[in-house]
Amino acid sequence: MELKPIIKVENLHFGYKKQDVLKGVDLELYKGEVVSLLGPNGCGKSTLMKLMLKLLDTKASISLNGKSLKEYSHKEISGHIAYIPQYHNVPFNYSVIEMVVMGRISKLGFFATPSAKDYKIAREALKRAGILELEERPFGQLSGGQKQLVLLARAIAQEVNIFFMDEPVNGLDYGNQIRLLELIDSLAKDGYTFLKTTHYPDHALLISSRIVVMDRGIIIEDGSPEDVIHSKMITDVYGIKAEIITHDEHKRCVPIFR
Amino acid sequence: MALSKEMKIIFTGLALLSALALFSLLWGQYPISFEVFYAYIKEVFFGIKADETYNIELIHNIVAEIRFPRILLAILIGAALATSGAVFQAMFVNPLVSPGILGVLAGASFGAACGMLVSENWFIVQIMAFVFGFVAVGFAMFVGSIVSSSRSTIMLVLGGVISGSLFTSLLSIVKYVADPYSTLPAIVYWLMGSLSMAQLNEVLVVAIPITLSIAGMIFMSKYFDLLSLGDEEAKALGVNVNLIRIIAIVLATLASSLAVVMAGIIGWVGLIIPHIIRMAIGPSHRLLIPLSAIVGGAFLLLADAVSRLALSVEIPIGILTSLIGIPIFIIVLKNARAAWN
Repeated sequence: MELKPIIKVENLHFGYKKQDVLKGVDLELYKGEVVSLLGPNGCGKSTLMKLMLKLLDTKASISLNGKSLKEYSHKEISGHIAYIPQYHNVPFNYSVIEMVVMGRISKLGFFATPSAKDYKIAREALKRAGILELEERPFGQLSGGQKQLVLLARAIAQEVNIFFMDEPVNGLDYGNQIRLLELIDSLAKDGYTFLKTTHYPDHALLISSRIVVMDRGIIIEDGSPEDVIHSKMITDVYGIKAEIITHDEHKRCVPIFR
Repeated sequence: MALSKEMKIIFTGLALLSALALFSLLWGQYPISFEVFYAYIKEVFFGIKADETYNIELIHNIVAEIRFPRILLAILIGAALATSGAVFQAMFVNPLVSPGILGVLAGASFGAACGMLVSENWFIVQIMAFVFGFVAVGFAMFVGSIVSSSRSTIMLVLGGVISGSLFTSLLSIVKYVADPYSTLPAIVYWLMGSLSMAQLNEVLVVAIPITLSIAGMIFMSKYFDLLSLGDEEAKALGVNVNLIRIIAIVLATLASSLAVVMAGIIGWVGLIIPHIIRMAIGPSHRLLIPLSAIVGGAFLLLADAVSRLALSVEIPIGILTSLIGIPIFIIVLKNARAAWN
């Protein structure tokens, strides 16, 4: 039996005003995959992710579970996919548990307020992300890494198994970057499907089952990490030299400094 | 079932507000003792004849005709302004806005003054106030958006300042053409903000839409947390952002415009009350919105009591809330960075 993609993007063109951002993108995402979208700044990877979440309007053909994305409301999409944006500041300084409970919103009726059960689910999500002790802390006072974990916990509390992450390690210190990647890897082993954008070929090599490379609005490579990440691709896309080495059974991408 | 922490706080607030209301009902130029009030209640509600010496007719006049409508109106208006302020702050993700700063109060007062000019009908005055209140927010948003395409805290505030001055100027034109012997004094005195004209039947008529819009805002409060994260994130979490925002802005504008119709421009309440609550109990809107209603009502009731009792002449309450509000807001600004990051 042929496996059906969860999400299928066909010949997607998209632009803001005069500037074309995406020039014919085809992409499929299957259950259980960890897909890294790699590419330089402005290549259109964040835009592509937002289009797949219906956060931007398009006439193009994008389907979710075989049905056109246009037929889904945001509430319905949020029942399939959780979006984890880059951590950011919020103008009102909610506590961590309140931030995570917000992931429950689409499960609540119009007049309902979050119940004890919703708080329980939120606490379990915080525990899974390893930050239960931050529960009562104000979100604004956390470090970047902690904020990113709170947003990930919110996605877990959403009780869906497809996660879209926009540059998850951006702005995190070195240790937190690796710890976050380890957490993503562990969630993937629990059966979550991931689509994440990243600036780091090395990170993509560490935890991806598939890597998609974008440059100037088109997909130039799409395949297994070993096939996609090679010295020539790094040079073509980023304009620098790099060497792919094997360390402890893992392929690693090491840039060469002149 | 045990009450949640939120419900406990809300019920405590309601109890305090009721106690305050009872206190203002009895206290005044003519103080009424608990004993007399109890006898009065028994006579009115249970038909038990009270002692002749209590002069129940006079008590009835004071309580039912003068103090009760005024207290009810003070609570309604305080609640309407504070709740609208909290909702505007959430909708525009901007802790510096309020019905006053967005120009809603100026727009509504221009609309109401126009209404007074053309019609004696109170309903038309209310509709005009709401329409121009809404136009004023729209204009503030428009000015804010042409100057800067991204959502900018300062630009929206400046847009509101511009919108407010526009409608204040238009209001001056209305005053200029108004009959200096009848309509003009009425407009000017009403604009200063006063609760002293409260008539029970008028208050009850406006109580219904104000209460409904406040209730609506309270019921929607869980969505306001989400909207303050920004549109994209709220949508991705499954919120119908545009629908929620439109309903919320309409309700907040309706409540604050009706407050203007009933009592003129009462500034600062919508700005400071939500900040005080945020500093005290945190920013979650599920608690902030209902508590804004309660604390806003209590604040205006207290301000009105001061305006009635402190001096032998009655100070228009709009002047008083500004005098109280300005120092509080300076303190809030100094401490509020923690509350909005």
